[in-house]
Amino acid sequence: MPLGMNKHGSRSTTSLPPDPTEIVRSKACSRRVKLNVGGLAHEVLWRTLDRLPRTRLGKLRDCNTHDSLMEICDDYNLEENEYFFDRHPGAFTSILNFYRTGKLHMMEEMCALSFSQELDYWGVDEIYLESCCQARYHQKKEQMNEELKREAETLREREGEEFDNTCCAEKRKKLWDLLEKPNSSVAAKILAIISIMFIVLSTIALSLNTLPELQGVDEFGQTTDNPQLAHVEAVCIAWFTMEYLLRFLSSPKKWKFFKGPLNAIDLLAILPYYVTIFLTESNKSVLQFQNVRRVVQIFRIMRILRILKLARHSTGLQSLGFTLRRSYNELGLLILFLAMGIMIFSSLVFFAEKDEDDTKFKSIPASFWWATITMTTVGYGDIYPKTLLGKIVGGLCCIAGVLVIALPIPIIVNNFSEFYKEQKRQEKAIKRREALERAKRNGSIVSMNMKDAFARSIELMDIVVEKNGESIAKKDKVQDNHLSPSKWKWTKRTLSETSSSKSFETKEQGSPEKARSSSSPQHLNVQQLEDMYNKMAKTQSQPNLNTKESSQAGKQKEELEMETLPGPMVPLLATRTDGIIDMRSMSSIDSFISCAAEFPDSGRFSHSPLTALPCKGGISLVQEQGRPEGSTARYVEMNPSSESGHRSAFFIESPKSSIKASNPLKLRSLKVNFMEEDTSTLVPASNVLRTYPDPLKSRGATAAATDTSLLSDRSLMSPETSIYTTASARTPPKSPESQAAIAFNFHDAGIHKYIDADTDDEGQLMYDSSPPGNVSPKYSVANSGYLKQKDHVYRTEKNHLEAAALPTSPKLIGQNCIFSMEGITGRTQGNQETVRLENHISPEVHVLPGSGGHANTHDQSI
Amino acid sequence: KMAGDSRFPDVDTDGSEKSEEMEIVVNVGGVRQVFYGDYLNQYPETRLAELVNCLSGGYDSIFSLCDDYDPGKREFYFDRDPDAFKCIIDVYYFGEIHMKKGICPICFKNEMEFWKVDLKFLDDCCKAHLSEKKEELEEIARRVQLILDDLGVDASESRWKRCQKCIWKFLEKPESSYPARVIAVLSFLFILISSVVMCVGTIPDLQVVDAEGNRMEHPTLDSIETACIGWFTMEYVLRLISSPNKLHFALSFMNIVDVLAILPFYVSLTLTHLGAKLMELSNVQQAVQALRIMRIARIFKLARHSSGLQTLTYALKRSFKELGLLLMYLAVGIFVFSALGYTMEQSHPETLFKSIPQSFWWAIITMTTVGYGDIYPKTTLGKLNAAISFLCGVIAIALPIHPIINNFVRYYNKQRVLETAAKHELELMELNSAEGKAAGSRSELEDLSREGKDDPFYSSRIKVSHSDTFIHLLSEEKNYRTRLQSCK
Repeated sequence: MPLGMNKHGSRSTTSLPPDPTEIVRSKACSRRVKLNVGGLAHEVLWRTLDRLPRTRLGKLRDCNTHDSLMEICDDYNLEENEYFFDRHPGAFTSILNFYRTGKLHMMEEMCALSFSQELDYWGVDEIYLESCCQARYHQKKEQMNEELKREAETLREREGEEFDNTCCAEKRKKLWDLLEKPNSSVAAKILAIISIMFIVLSTIALSLNTLPELQGVDEFGQTTDNPQLAHVEAVCIAWFTMEYLLRFLSSPKKWKFFKGPLNAIDLLAILPYYVTIFLTESNKSVLQFQNVRRVVQIFRIMRILRILKLARHSTGLQSLGFTLRRSYNELGLLILFLAMGIMIFSSLVFFAEKDEDDTKFKSIPASFWWATITMTTVGYGDIYPKTLLGKIVGGLCCIAGVLVIALPIPIIVNNFSEFYKEQKRQEKAIKRREALERAKRNGSIVSMNMKDAFARSIELMDIVVEKNGESIAKKDKVQDNHLSPSKWKWTKRTLSETSSSKSFETKEQGSPEKARSSSSPQHLNVQQLEDMYNKMAKTQSQPNLNTKESSQAGKQKEELEMETLPGPMVPLLATRTDGIIDMRSMSSIDSFISCAAEFPDSGRFSHSPLTALPCKGGISLVQEQGRPEGSTARYVEMNPSSESGHRSAFFIESPKSSIKASNPLKLRSLKVNFMEEDTSTLVPASNVLRTYPDPLKSRGATAAATDTSLLSDRSLMSPETSIYTTASARTPPKSPESQAAIAFNFHDAGIHKYIDADTDDEGQLMYDSSPPGNVSPKYSVANSGYLKQKDHVYRTEKNHLEAAALPTSPKLIGQNCIFSMEGITGRTQGNQETVRLENHISPEVHVLPGSGGHANTHDQSI
Repeated sequence: KMAGDSRFPDVDTDGSEKSEEMEIVVNVGGVRQVFYGDYLNQYPETRLAELVNCLSGGYDSIFSLCDDYDPGKREFYFDRDPDAFKCIIDVYYFGEIHMKKGICPICFKNEMEFWKVDLKFLDDCCKAHLSEKKEELEEIARRVQLILDDLGVDASESRWKRCQKCIWKFLEKPESSYPARVIAVLSFLFILISSVVMCVGTIPDLQVVDAEGNRMEHPTLDSIETACIGWFTMEYVLRLISSPNKLHFALSFMNIVDVLAILPFYVSLTLTHLGAKLMELSNVQQAVQALRIMRIARIFKLARHSSGLQTLTYALKRSFKELGLLLMYLAVGIFVFSALGYTMEQSHPETLFKSIPQSFWWAIITMTTVGYGDIYPKTTLGKLNAAISFLCGVIAIALPIHPIINNFVRYYNKQRVLETAAKHELELMELNSAEGKAAGSRSELEDLSREGKDDPFYSSRIKVSHSDTFIHLLSEEKNYRTRLQSCK
């Protein structure tokens, strides 16, 4: 970035922003404008930008105030007539060319997904992409989408099991693991092997049964089963039945279990036996009748289906099944080709051979057999042509058969290998996750695969959306409805309403799981990533965390009570809340990209609010402890006095309220229309894990009881205070009342660290932009506001938070969402500032049910 | 500091400075480059050279070539892609241009056109890339053309023409409407039925013996056959009538198949009724019998209804060479191994290899791994030979088949991509046409508000900005727009 811009940037925090007239003058004095995108300078005519007036760049010219300008660009310099955008420079070249030539092409080496992300940012619809580049773009995008979906699906199958809503969950879960996951333990593995052996045994018995030597003869002269083999059969069937019943009983979702293809096969393997018994017993007297016998025979044949049970134990067989399902088109083609070939060659050979004496080609249908056997190159030799003409036809038939069969098969093979590879990859991913778990236990850091994490996050969202009936689902859904792309189509109104109502439900539940789950945000120390990771994968892995935490809880609480006093002393300030999420991502993949793409931003704007916090040690403590305890009510009671309590509350609460506010803005249809979108675009804030100032540590030391993990927790939490839209980042100087905004992206922090641990300039910027005085008011604001408001306001928020905290956290990894606590405080206090800021947000912030209502209900429930 | 665009230096000073060693500063989209006049003049037809040469011509000529001019810095500004420009100026230094990796070739081509650098300067290595993309675009354009042709009916045409088009759409484009789809399904069913009837008719049990002891087809089967033929005939005739280009229609492969499917029936009909007068009855019957084979052609009619079959024929057509190779390999193998087999089996008294031509059959059946077992070697050497011939057969078939399969798979996949691309192209055209209007009206408004300050480039460029795809194939732009709108 040029020096001048830095200067300007610093000026914006200390002095007043430039006057609109100044901006207008600067724009008027040149026909051209300099656009600096990610360090690459472009120069373009204003009138070129005017060609697409509804895009981000198109709107640049019409912005004559500082605020509106800052909404559109990340920085500007009037003297140089230069505007800075913190985006990928490579993609921008293509996009700027779109303005110049009216044709949108895409750089070939550019990843299609990241390009679509850029298009979203600049407000250009992907439909403008020229045909020459469009095919590549869409192919890639679809492929990626599909892959992620599939991955999420399988993971969901594996991990979307919840056992907590019914009796003896623990036992059932163990049983389920034992029966369904052969890799989970040695016992499970042994069980699987026994199961396989039973399958093989029963199949062998079935085959042996048909040997004439082993068959007996009953009183009607009909052959019957060998008694020994019948016993073997009965034992096998008993085993299968038991297995099936146990599985069914332990399955978390009965209907889904019943529908599963593998389970249907199981059922088909055991049912024939019982049906046969039933028929034989009930018709003992009429058994001699032919049709009853025939029915029985058919059911006996169905027993052979049990060989398919092996599919449960073999990935290869499952892949085969999947491939066949996926490539039924090509299979149809293959059959069509064969059918046509058979028709043609059989009629040809019929006409060639029919005059021969004692020919076997008596009619065309009769020669179908010959054609089939020849085309598939089996060649039994029971029928073969004898005339010269027939032999020529036969030769052609062979070659045509080879060709016709060979052609569609590569496509099927392709499908198969793709799926198989994917399957293998997933197995590896699961292994890696297990390794992560282990590493977590050891306390060492393991680098984690972003993409996996992201895929998991999507998957979780999906699960949640689907799991309507379940309590946990409800909890998750509070946010997930919004997060999952599929739901974005909802109208704004319904969105906000449903979400608020959902939050009530969850609030009132107050179940221990919730508390447990909400502990996740706190755990952002070294191990946190892994924890989160696990949580996404298995909610079950949490208990050990909780125990760890709860041991500390008591101690911390005491400390908290001592330290919370300073809170109220902070001068009262008008609270202004600003809730904006960066939901820039239209689809989940996009968000994944954005996650990576926007880290720089977040670093840039994050302030380190911790420095100014009135109560130091207590903060982290309260947060630490409030969650693990899980009893919402109690926690609430003590909150009012503790400022840190507020903080934690904010923390958690934020996701819900803010999501409600800004999600709808992201409706896909608005994509081109940046007018709305800009307001909601938010630069992720504060990933401070790495860059955290030393003061923190010292403070952490004061909080004697805290261990190192707590320390880092703090560091993670502190950024919460600073969340800024591009616009809001500038507002603090202008409006000293400050805003209480919270970042909800610990994950980002973690991932950020992981991804680009060496973005030094970000750190610098961060320091630059966080003047000491800036942050503290924020906190106090929130705090004082709350105090004024009486406890119930609080509680609502806190509850919101608690309900929301767990589910969001894992998801956020990909989403890069930042939640600021917006709606509730602002609304309840009816502050004017809030309203002003909320202009940026969306109208329906106002529409949302007032938090007063929330609060009341909540009080009652408590 | 830019002085603004209202003040210009004197034209005279410009002119006086013009010399061969003169240097000009060019700013392309923010990237600044300095050029010497004599370098640029190597290629006088290019835009930069024109710029140098018209410096004396005053501002009008300068502004017709570039987008902005800063007299203070004597800098010409072009609002173009700087990346492509960096590649294109290579022509002044090296005489050839290499495309920067990553730039879409079509996009690059347009940039070259803007700078008026001839495409021939593009080096061959990059040209291949460009032509590949072009081919793809042409394919897409053809599809778009097809779709556009199907869309909408021009009101200007006569009633007969419109009716013709209606029938054409009805019969040829099953996806165009619901009844058309029904017709397609019906037609498909008729083909199936007639094929089945043809096969079933040859079963001896279902045949009847006529007065002279000849086996005849069952009368019900015969009537079904007649009905099917009637349907086929009607379909063909309607198609022929409604086709815009009769000759083209008659010569296309699918329609030849159609003719072959219905012709045998009529020929045999005429022969049985009139043939007796012309030749002997037995001859007539033989001819009729021979014509029956021709009925097989109707199975090919299925290809009309299956894109997979069309792909197959396309792939086979494209891989003619490989097919020839396959046959040649097989032929060589057959000759060699049948000869070998014949000689080796000579020693055995009851040999099944009676002559080399007779053992051809054995060789084919062995090499293709069919193995009927009607002829098989009996001596040890003969068996050895059979084993080798079998191995060679597998290889001989597998090797040339790979390119054929490749062709098939590629075409099969491409088919889908092109389908979506064509649809996208249509959307784009629609969008552009809509925007063109909006932009047009907007620019008019701006003309008013800015008191005519608007330059001529602006509105014209917007209007021209239709897709890069070969829409010039679809020449009358106006026409398709109206058609597009009419069909909505």
